[in-house]
Amino acid sequence: MKCGIEIHQRLDSLKLFCRCPSVIHEDKGQGEVVRRLHPVASELGEVDIAAQFEYLKGKEYHYHTYDESTCLMETDEEPPHPLNNNALAIALEIALMLNSKPVDELQIMRKTVVDGSNTSGFQRTSLLARGGFVETSKGKVGIQGICLEEESSGIVSGEEAGKVYYKLDRLGIPLVEIATAPDMVDAEHVKETAEKIGAILRATGKVLRGIGTIRQDVNVSVEGGARVEIKGAQELAALPKIVEAEVKRQEKLIAIREELKERKAKLGDAKLVDVSGIFSKTQAKIVRKTLDGGGAVVAVKLNGYAGILGTELYPNRRFGTEMSDYAKSAASVGGVIHSDEDLKKYSFSDEETSAVKKKLGVSESDAFVMVAAKKDIAERALIAAFARAKDATGNLHEEVRKVLPDGVSTAYMRPMPGAARLYPETDIAPVRITKEMIAEARKKLPEMPEVKLAKLKKTLSEELAEKMMKSRNLQLFEKLVGMGIEPSLAATTLEETVVSLRREGVAVEDIREEKIVELFGEFAKGGFAKAAVPEVLKLLAKKPKAKVSALVAEGGLAKLSGKELEAAVEKELASVPDKKKAVGAVMAKLRLRADPEEVIGIIRKKA
Amino acid sequence: MYSAKIDEALGKAGAAPGDRISVTKEGERTEGILMPRSSLGDRDCLVVKLNNGYNVGMDFANAKVELVSKAKPAAHKAGGEVAMEKGLPNISILGCGGTIASKVDYKIGAVFPATSPDELLASFPGLKGIANFKAKVLFTLLSGDMAPAHWQVIAKEVAKEIEAGADGVILMHGTDTMGYTAAALSFMLKDLPVPVVMVGAQRSSDRGSSDNSMNLVCAAIAAKSDIAEVMVCMHGSTNDDYCLLHPGTKVRKLHASRRDAFKSVNAKPFAKVDYAAKKLELLRNDFRKKDKKRKLALDEKMNANVGLIYVHPGMKPEFVKKLGEVYEGIVLAGTGLGHIPTNPHGDKLAKPVIDAVKELIAKGIPVAMAPQTLYGRVNMNVYAYGIAGKEAGVIGDYCDWLPETAMVKLMWVLGHTKEMKRVKEEMERNVAGEISDRSVLLE
Repeated sequence: MKCGIEIHQRLDSLKLFCRCPSVIHEDKGQGEVVRRLHPVASELGEVDIAAQFEYLKGKEYHYHTYDESTCLMETDEEPPHPLNNNALAIALEIALMLNSKPVDELQIMRKTVVDGSNTSGFQRTSLLARGGFVETSKGKVGIQGICLEEESSGIVSGEEAGKVYYKLDRLGIPLVEIATAPDMVDAEHVKETAEKIGAILRATGKVLRGIGTIRQDVNVSVEGGARVEIKGAQELAALPKIVEAEVKRQEKLIAIREELKERKAKLGDAKLVDVSGIFSKTQAKIVRKTLDGGGAVVAVKLNGYAGILGTELYPNRRFGTEMSDYAKSAASVGGVIHSDEDLKKYSFSDEETSAVKKKLGVSESDAFVMVAAKKDIAERALIAAFARAKDATGNLHEEVRKVLPDGVSTAYMRPMPGAARLYPETDIAPVRITKEMIAEARKKLPEMPEVKLAKLKKTLSEELAEKMMKSRNLQLFEKLVGMGIEPSLAATTLEETVVSLRREGVAVEDIREEKIVELFGEFAKGGFAKAAVPEVLKLLAKKPKAKVSALVAEGGLAKLSGKELEAAVEKELASVPDKKKAVGAVMAKLRLRADPEEVIGIIRKKA
Repeated sequence: MYSAKIDEALGKAGAAPGDRISVTKEGERTEGILMPRSSLGDRDCLVVKLNNGYNVGMDFANAKVELVSKAKPAAHKAGGEVAMEKGLPNISILGCGGTIASKVDYKIGAVFPATSPDELLASFPGLKGIANFKAKVLFTLLSGDMAPAHWQVIAKEVAKEIEAGADGVILMHGTDTMGYTAAALSFMLKDLPVPVVMVGAQRSSDRGSSDNSMNLVCAAIAAKSDIAEVMVCMHGSTNDDYCLLHPGTKVRKLHASRRDAFKSVNAKPFAKVDYAAKKLELLRNDFRKKDKKRKLALDEKMNANVGLIYVHPGMKPEFVKKLGEVYEGIVLAGTGLGHIPTNPHGDKLAKPVIDAVKELIAKGIPVAMAPQTLYGRVNMNVYAYGIAGKEAGVIGDYCDWLPETAMVKLMWVLGHTKEMKRVKEEMERNVAGEISDRSVLLE
């Protein structure tokens, strides 16, 4: 197995080519722009404009716009502003931390993208540094290159009737892409390497955090297989499983190839047959709907492929599913129907199935595939599915796949992009990376994660220090400590209190980072007692926009001290007969309102 | 454009852009394709396209360049004709520059114009079935470089196409000065029998998001319509939904970069073309109807010595006087209703230019007025400085023309006569829709 990863990390800065803030919104924004794309050189360089035209025909891309974080740049209505120097400085720091060598002059490129995720039809990207390495427990993992590029738009929901929805707030956020060499030795090593790089990125303190701000793609190939890029792994923990599943998939595909070789099965040209007539009275809903809508059912025979289409590549994904993915990507169809499936589930009658077999001349050892759709679309889909089946006898496909909702299995997305997909962005001047810029970045370099961890261990327990180091809250933690908050209180609150509150069903995810900072600011001023921190968090979760000081007052959590506290202690003492248990009894009542040291002090004075 | 030092080293190595070279620096060897250097950036950096497709700039200091292999010459096949479909109208497409129909060499990023019908149809499959197309490139230049002499060439070429039987003519044109050319053609092509549609793109043609394809398809629909006028066909909104057909004398580019930069000013567009439905919807009915029997009268005479000057606070009378040494006619884009500084109240700080204007007119140089507000109509009867201008003999009272259109018209009129009285009469008479009688309430 050979395995490399690509890490994409959003930087905490304004957008790369305009001065919009990198703020993501939950809502649908204030406006909508509707665009179409037209054919250009494809990701393979060679363009089949006619095919692309057919594919893009009638497809609409709807983009939500946001007054706060989108402008004419994101809507592709203005040439780019100069490259954001602050983002470049952050990326340079990252490159240096990964021992990578910056290029002398940054050349901005356009990378053709025709799925609508960029309003322009391309992504602006640049190769910032080459070479480098990261240390892991299983040796050095090489860095191939580090790119500084713009983030794409976020897709809102799947395609519906030729319409795709995107949010433009994400488009243009600065992103570094770190590509490693295929040096990882096993699935666990992939996870470790991703973690190591993630820790280095966080150590800069200048990267965005939260869901989606870091993504990792994996490149996997096995002996005799092909390089496959897998996109969309949500969590690091899932990486080993994804890698293992892909290794299995490639091994199964190799086994299928050997099996077909043994059977001497070889497909010639696709002979598409219109079998609509057989289904004139069908009960099968999908087919009924297609035929009533003026569509057709087209089928093709696969000589000697019986059983192959049903071969499981991994749980619930068969070779037939792969063919279906290719069909879907070539034309807007729901999928394919094939003879290794239980055709009864579509409500086809036995007569219909045998009639199709007869018409195609399918014998025991053969298989067939059908598509129901508008005739030209069905034919295009079927040709793609047939081509995939035919290719099963040859080399494995180099391709880009996406992780499916189960988090482990993947589906075909598109062919592996070639170098020809990149061409110069002529609207932006190249940026000279001077010795001074590199020296400046070197001066600002943060501690490497190992050094930082050692320091954390001095103020936190071993376990909490490790947790903090891996946490998305590391930057926030450092900020709080910088404000004079005791490290253990800050770490416990962020890593333990918040987690247990979430388990209790408190909506802590609604609390924004700046409110946590405000909370600790109030605490530092003596606004409330340490023990009340979880209570204030609870109140904040209910009213995430309220002022912390107001919530404290409202919740009756204001800290007691001085005369007020003395009076309260005296009052409680009066009802405690056993003076030996005084501290415990008083604290039970005043726990949330006073610091124990102060209470003890008062009781001692009284005694 | 590399520095002399790099050029020399490349020459010695026998390497030219497109060739595969190796660069050795600090013991590290990098192989890739030598790219041409744009005029931006550091000329002492070699630009090399790596195998992964990325370009990087490499400081030439201490670098050693060697040729690995020469580039294969690009197979640039000449274009051909496309078989005519019976029953479809014949539309001529004339290329007047701009990058609406260009092909990109993705390897080096260079742009070539598409020149033949088959190349056009290959680049714009959406055109298929709308008409039979003939294509010809007149010039390849940015529209910012276009001069009145170019308008004359275009007018003659359009006339040729119409005489040869075209059912419509499409002009592909850069957008910067498309409005000027549209106005010029409106005056030069009298009694137009068929539509003449100008079209451009605000986004370059290399990108999937370019507006070229939609604009061109809508232009083709306009070119086979009944509207025998010179018009500009461009996006009607920021969306890819419809194009508007703007009258040639009333259209202005009102945004530096947006797709819907072109607007009809003081007028309604002739029609709207729905891109998805490929349908034209008329917004007006007062246009010249197509009639192939009508004889086109080509009248392309021009005097290019006309200047368009923006009136502004602090405008220097000396400058206005000097204009007479350079130009034979002046259009002033005046403030408000068509005003120039006259200082009727004798303010101490004000510096009037009215006397300089009077001097120009006295010398026989016609001076016309247009509103720099773009929207609205000149009226030199309301304020004292308006009246002063009118009394001085400034042309254009009650005209709701665009400053650019007034300028083009003055060039055209001066191409025919220099007699002040006739110039004034011709200028203030509506010739091609540039002056309307009524100021209709538009949104």
